[in-house]
Amino acid sequence: MAGKNCVAIAGDTRFGVRNQTVALDSNRIFKINNRTLFGMTGLNTDILTLRESFKFQMNLYNLEEEREISPKTFAHNVAQTLYSKRFGPYFITPIIAGLEGEDYTPFLCATDLIGAMEFPKSFVVAGTGEESLMGVCETFYKENMEPDELFEVISQCLLAAVDRDALSGWGSVVHVLTKDGITTKRLRTRKD
Amino acid sequence: MFTLGSVLDNDFKSTIEDFSFETEFSTNQLMLPNIEKPFEFAQSIIGLEKDLQENENQLMFHQQKKEERKERALIKGYKGTTTLAFIYEKGTVVAVDSRATSGQYIASQSVQKVVPVNEYMLGTLAGGAADCQFFLAHLGRICNLYELRNNEKISVAAASKLLNNILYSYRNYGLSVGSMICGYDTRGPQLYYIDSDGSRLKNSLFSVGSGSPFAYGVLDAGYRWDLSKEEALDLGRRAICAATFKDSYSGGTVKVYHIDENGWVKISDDDASELWYRYEEKEKKKK
Repeated sequence: MAGKNCVAIAGDTRFGVRNQTVALDSNRIFKINNRTLFGMTGLNTDILTLRESFKFQMNLYNLEEEREISPKTFAHNVAQTLYSKRFGPYFITPIIAGLEGEDYTPFLCATDLIGAMEFPKSFVVAGTGEESLMGVCETFYKENMEPDELFEVISQCLLAAVDRDALSGWGSVVHVLTKDGITTKRLRTRKD
Repeated sequence: MFTLGSVLDNDFKSTIEDFSFETEFSTNQLMLPNIEKPFEFAQSIIGLEKDLQENENQLMFHQQKKEERKERALIKGYKGTTTLAFIYEKGTVVAVDSRATSGQYIASQSVQKVVPVNEYMLGTLAGGAADCQFFLAHLGRICNLYELRNNEKISVAAASKLLNNILYSYRNYGLSVGSMICGYDTRGPQLYYIDSDGSRLKNSLFSVGSGSPFAYGVLDAGYRWDLSKEEALDLGRRAICAATFKDSYSGGTVKVYHIDENGWVKISDDDASELWYRYEEKEKKKK
């Protein structure tokens, strides 16, 4: 979700196999650099593989370009990587959130599993509970929220949607990215 | 010829006739659609995963994909549950969760999965909610009539047998009932598992539903015949709590009931997630 010169990503931390919950601490939101956060949902093995793959690509980028990648460029990189597997795709839905440029304009991007990008101004959702999430976010989102308010809103949206989805929950984490840095908080969710 | 009818009085005869299939529990009680093959039609409008897989060969829907059929299905099964019951020295313990899911959408967190049959018998609900609710309420009616006619309480074995016979007559019509009849009668605490496939099983402990493997783990580990009442209730509660934690399709609240010679009593109704956090705290304090 985007606010005033800040963005936030929230996600649950459940790892399950069909109906069984296997782990409560699988982190799916990764920091690319101080300006970009990257979250993925979907097949866990693809999430782990792509995390390593993007880490590798970003390290090379930093060495070659001698600067940090901007969120927009990273989003295009993600789309390109996903489309390169067009006929044998990675089963993930990525979300990129970051602060672009000198004036820290919020940047959001969501793609589908083969890299079709979308750049909404307000919020992006992904996962098994995405329909519930869409509904709650639509209701509670307003423009130009300060970081504290943004944190409250995104937390409540996540908790509400996760309680209506059987396959999500069991712990959650919220990252708020402002020009001063990233704040990470864990929420107490239902464990049923 | 020494037939049963000739030995008994007219009064007794009428009660036996009342229990014959032709009168009280006749198979034509529920209306069926007036078409050639009601069984196949019934199958086609039910969207339960199990039936679609089983009957893929029987029905002539080879071309249609399972997803399409599921879309067409008018009755969507609310599955996903954990219910358990066990008997011990002092009575019967019944514990259930309260979540209903339709696919992965949580339809409700406050479903009543225990239906009282009469003051000393409870039935649990698993599978199709409407099916279970109707048939357990019907069982309650039958048991009440039996008591009025025979001036004695019906035994749990007899009540479960009646339900079993009714469900067997609707076998293959797409009903989904996985109910446990739990009670306390002159023989002591009793527990029967009744299925819409027509099974009727007697045992000292059962767990039914998608979360049952997880509940069995806790239940089997802690079960003994000579538990105290407190221990037994705690065991039931813990087993359901573990199942709600591990199984995504179980959750909501944990309800625990106890049945003894005085009838059934609802012991507790706790939020499943809060209970889990409480147990975690206790474990931490122990260490």
